[in-house]
Amino acid sequence: MAEQFDLADPRAGRARDPFTLEVVKNALASIADEMAATIQRTARSFVVKEALDYSTALFDGTGRLIAQGTCLPLHMGAMPHAILAMQNHFGDDMRPGDIYVSNDPWDGSTHLPDVVCVKPIFLAGKLVGFAAALAHQTDIGGRVAGGNASDSTEIYQEGLRLPPIRLYENGEPCETVFRIIARNVRVPETVVGDIRSEVSACMIGERQLLDLIDRHGLDEFEALCTELLDYTERFTRAEVAKLPDGVYRFTDYIDDDGIDPDRITFQVAITVAGEEMVIDFAGTSPQVRGAINSVYPFTASAAWACVRAILDLDIPNNAGFFRPIKVVTPPRSIVDCAPPSPVAARGLAGFRIADTVMGALAQIRPDMVPASGGNSPDAGVSLGGYDETGKPFVYLEFLVGSWGGGPWRDGMDACTGIIVNYANTPAELVESEQPLIVERYEYIADSAGTGEWRGGLALERHLRFTGKEGIIQVRSDRRKVAPYGLEGGSDGQPSNVTITRASGADEQMPSKFLTTIREGDVIRLRLASGGGHGDPLARPPAAVLADVVDEKITPAFAAEAYGVVLTGSPPTVDATATKLQRGAIRGRTSSGPYS
Amino acid sequence: MSERVGIDIGGTFTDMVLMDGEGGVFTVKVPSTPDDYSRGIAEGLAAELAAREIPADGIAELIHGTTVATNAILEKRGARTGLLTTEGFRDVLEIRRLRMPRLYDLRWTKPPALAARADRLEVPERIDHKGRVLTALDEAAAGAAIDRLLASGVEAVAISLINAYANGAHEERLAEMVRARAPDLPLCISSEILPEIKEYERTSTVVVNAYILPVVSRYLRRLREALDALSTTAPLKIMQSSGGAMGVEAARARPIHIIESGPAAGVVGAAELAAKLGRKDVLTFDMGGTTAKAAIIEDGAYDRVGELDVGAGINFAARLLKGGGYHVGVPAIDIAEVGAGGGSLVRIDAGGSLAVGPESAGAVPGPVSYDQGGETATVTDANVVLGFVNPDRLVGGELMLNAEKGREAIRRQVANPLGAGLDEAAWGIHQVANAAMARALRAVSSERGRDPRRFALAVFGGNGPVHAVTLARSLDIKEIIVPPAAGVFSALGLLFPETEHHHVRTLKQGLDGTDPAGLSDAFGTLEATGREGLESEGFAASAMEFERFADLCYRGENAALTVPVGGAGDVRAEMAESFAAEHERTFGYRSDDEVVELVNVRIVARGRSDTPRVPQALAITPRTDIAAEAGRRRPVYFGPEVGRIEVPVITRDAISADGREGPFIVEEYDSTTVVPPGCRARAAEWGALVIDVDPERGE
Repeated sequence: MAEQFDLADPRAGRARDPFTLEVVKNALASIADEMAATIQRTARSFVVKEALDYSTALFDGTGRLIAQGTCLPLHMGAMPHAILAMQNHFGDDMRPGDIYVSNDPWDGSTHLPDVVCVKPIFLAGKLVGFAAALAHQTDIGGRVAGGNASDSTEIYQEGLRLPPIRLYENGEPCETVFRIIARNVRVPETVVGDIRSEVSACMIGERQLLDLIDRHGLDEFEALCTELLDYTERFTRAEVAKLPDGVYRFTDYIDDDGIDPDRITFQVAITVAGEEMVIDFAGTSPQVRGAINSVYPFTASAAWACVRAILDLDIPNNAGFFRPIKVVTPPRSIVDCAPPSPVAARGLAGFRIADTVMGALAQIRPDMVPASGGNSPDAGVSLGGYDETGKPFVYLEFLVGSWGGGPWRDGMDACTGIIVNYANTPAELVESEQPLIVERYEYIADSAGTGEWRGGLALERHLRFTGKEGIIQVRSDRRKVAPYGLEGGSDGQPSNVTITRASGADEQMPSKFLTTIREGDVIRLRLASGGGHGDPLARPPAAVLADVVDEKITPAFAAEAYGVVLTGSPPTVDATATKLQRGAIRGRTSSGPYS
Repeated sequence: MSERVGIDIGGTFTDMVLMDGEGGVFTVKVPSTPDDYSRGIAEGLAAELAAREIPADGIAELIHGTTVATNAILEKRGARTGLLTTEGFRDVLEIRRLRMPRLYDLRWTKPPALAARADRLEVPERIDHKGRVLTALDEAAAGAAIDRLLASGVEAVAISLINAYANGAHEERLAEMVRARAPDLPLCISSEILPEIKEYERTSTVVVNAYILPVVSRYLRRLREALDALSTTAPLKIMQSSGGAMGVEAARARPIHIIESGPAAGVVGAAELAAKLGRKDVLTFDMGGTTAKAAIIEDGAYDRVGELDVGAGINFAARLLKGGGYHVGVPAIDIAEVGAGGGSLVRIDAGGSLAVGPESAGAVPGPVSYDQGGETATVTDANVVLGFVNPDRLVGGELMLNAEKGREAIRRQVANPLGAGLDEAAWGIHQVANAAMARALRAVSSERGRDPRRFALAVFGGNGPVHAVTLARSLDIKEIIVPPAAGVFSALGLLFPETEHHHVRTLKQGLDGTDPAGLSDAFGTLEATGREGLESEGFAASAMEFERFADLCYRGENAALTVPVGGAGDVRAEMAESFAAEHERTFGYRSDDEVVELVNVRIVARGRSDTPRVPQALAITPRTDIAAEAGRRRPVYFGPEVGRIEVPVITRDAISADGREGPFIVEEYDSTTVVPPGCRARAAEWGALVIDVDPERGE
């Protein structure tokens, strides 16, 4: 499947003047960002406006990605797939005033909640480009509110599935389609509002792109696009060439799919050869019964996003970047699933694909890549029900934790990862709009993976349900296989979820579950912490002391995990006792993990 | 008793503008004294008064734009700040919103919290979103937390509790307990500083206020003392980010309002100038050495935003991806900033493309041609090569330039690697800098649904008028306004604003379900607070004005739009209509069947001065101590179509109201204006220049 997605363009670029090229490059990026700003300001759902789970992009008339908004990295390689789908379906039948929509995972989107809108752009009757927007909808119908359940076993359970169809025709909305969407989702105002914001973004993209073409002339613009992609390819190749040749392997896991108990393997071999790179997932588990399977464009996107992070960040976001970096997947695997696989919670596969690729990249750029963290939104929570008037509510949030440590600093406590750019939802907004009270949202002391550079702390979030009854669905992970440490740093601590019922009874929940909750029940979510980097006994005692002062670790943990003995109040490092303690730990673990 | 003085501090120079009652203006630049800025101001002012034989009591008023608040944050020189917060939420300040300001960036580091975790303590209490007490404040536990905080040696305390925007009672009780123990300690509470929903944003705002309060307060006290020592008792006012001025005592209590003091003054000045010239729609462009800033004036008014991300750096994407800096939820003129200016360094990236900024040569070592140790070519070096900027010496300064050095750097670093000629390379650098700076202009115009082509472009800052025409051409802008004293225009702008206080409160309820009497009460309460503030600054009731605003959105939207609220009685229908119209204008659609939510109510309390702030006429006294090189000609490169041609160098007064055809260059004490062939400049009111860009080409 990978081969058909080769975006390389055989046309050789003409050498153009670099100044105009730079001007057009900036202008395109700026238009894509304007589209993104439009969505952020007009979208209705938490997941779009706060978590920024959406993307915008521009394409030239032949469907090549020429710019992408600064949105969700995980969507980057998936947007060209959307254009391809529209080209396949509409071919020569594209007309001015059209907007197409799809959410089919094998035909434009990568799971049903991601509704993609594409507007062909015409100049004097000629197709000159596309503006596209994709946004994660808060609900898309189906068995479970929120559209993100991990326990469906076929795509048909997951909600409304739209193949590429017209959403607008002759500049007018196709009311039939809007009505079908509104009737199939639990929160139509939110979903239709978010789709409208995508349409607004496409309109703005069209207007701006036409202005840009008008300034340069169409011929010149088309030549500049070709040159821009060639320039990006050259830039990428020059950057890849700087990496040491070799084959770099890494393996990571998902606990289970929530249906079968087996661990799921993600295996990658990255081959760097000169100025090209192949990322091969051979050895990765077959597709699973639960809804955490990834379609190829999503897998490729996750892999590309990771590679971008170790190259020069000034490489533009366009199709030229993909050319020297090939992503190869085994068919019918969890990283390249076939219909009718369920895919709703495929985000989890994406995060683990990224963790696996980063593990291999850590060997290529050991000076740059940290240990694994809890900073992918490993816990997704959706809660749905009906209020006292019978009106449905849906709460959807993806929780993000902390970074893994190293190789030159501690893992950042509480910060989004590089493949998503999620924000949290303010407790005060949650409480003002949902039947929930956020009782706690803070760090857990002594939770970070240990190392010379420690991992970031685990976070916990406690939600008290104040409605009558609701269905809560949690898709979490990193329970059995914690985020990995590197270079002798310990793994992070695993995640956990418990529910304290109104009666006072505590229930231990599995990592993936769906259950009924009632008024007064408290859901306690604990995220995994970041893995450590390097030998914990090499951590400077002053850094350990600083964490104790900040109550990020306790004095007992400082002594036990780092061999740092503190004394007095305010505490200071007891150098002699620390030396002794570190010696004792080395002796005790001489056959242990730090040897 | 008629001189008014505007004082704008920069890193290298302090700009001062003195204006008399008839609009006679005198400008001066003195070196800044970063060890104690008040010393430089007082000394510079004393010298200027002596030179012009003005007695100290001839000063009617001083208005000051200062970076002291910003610098305290950027340089981490604020107070050690303690924070009291609700149990379970100790880390809100540090968790922030999780977001990174730049995608894919493994090197980005989260800015450290301004109150360390050890200094953030929790108290058992809880209030819900309707302001109802769920858990009473545990006073014993709170007392213990306060004792611990005070014993640890914090220098300021902030209080921010969950849902305090809906009910500040617990915060107020905690404040009483702190005051009882430490009456003189700087203390700020969130329900007073910013009673707005969203706990991180509110907490960050109140912590920033507490953090910078002692530093700003000390500085402003010293400045007042230094002015007292000059025997002037004239009132001292401070420019706010919002475009209004505030009394020095108010600024000492709420320093978060003066963070973008200097940049705001330029926009206010441009708005007044635009009004004078009869222009309603103007984009402002302020180009300095390191950054370029843009703002929009529409229908005569500048746009405001409700928040600043202080220290987010000079990253355009920060407008989209927040989280780079410290959030401060106060009204501020919407100014977009990009990291491109005269000192921006030029480089060729790995793909073989030319890039400008955001790294800057700064004041030291400066551009290569300044011959002060700079080695990397800058935008200014390119402007020297082009002939846009005087190749022999800095206009208005003592510094002699070494143009050959700059030429060599561009030849070696840019022209040769790209296989271009020297002129072509310099022209390319100039254009690439324009492309970067145009992003700031687009951010305030087309990104907000405003077409830049229907705006005039007002340019100021030392480098603004150098780039004005080429920048305008790249955006199809047809008219440029070069203000008088363009290089020190922000200091001039300080003289125009009235005193203003902004107050806000979150209601967050459906507009339809809002009780009109309750709404009127909410505005009334805010206005009472505003009245109190103005009274304390000496304004009589007859000099006070109040404006009402509301932030509205369709239920669920992220960005509320602010609309004015007028009239009496039930104003809800009118509010809904203004909102829908504004939504359509900004986002392209209205949606009348959706629920409109009333998020916040706001007021501006304005104190009008006895005499008009803005003079009828304005006359700049030209500096005679440093003559521009008028009367000469020099060769200037205007791009491949025109090539390099000899153009006259003139002074501004050589341009009449009838206008003059380009090409020519206007050199002045504080700036240089480039008017290429095809453009025409004419003198306008206040001594401004208006440039028609390519008038012959038409639409």
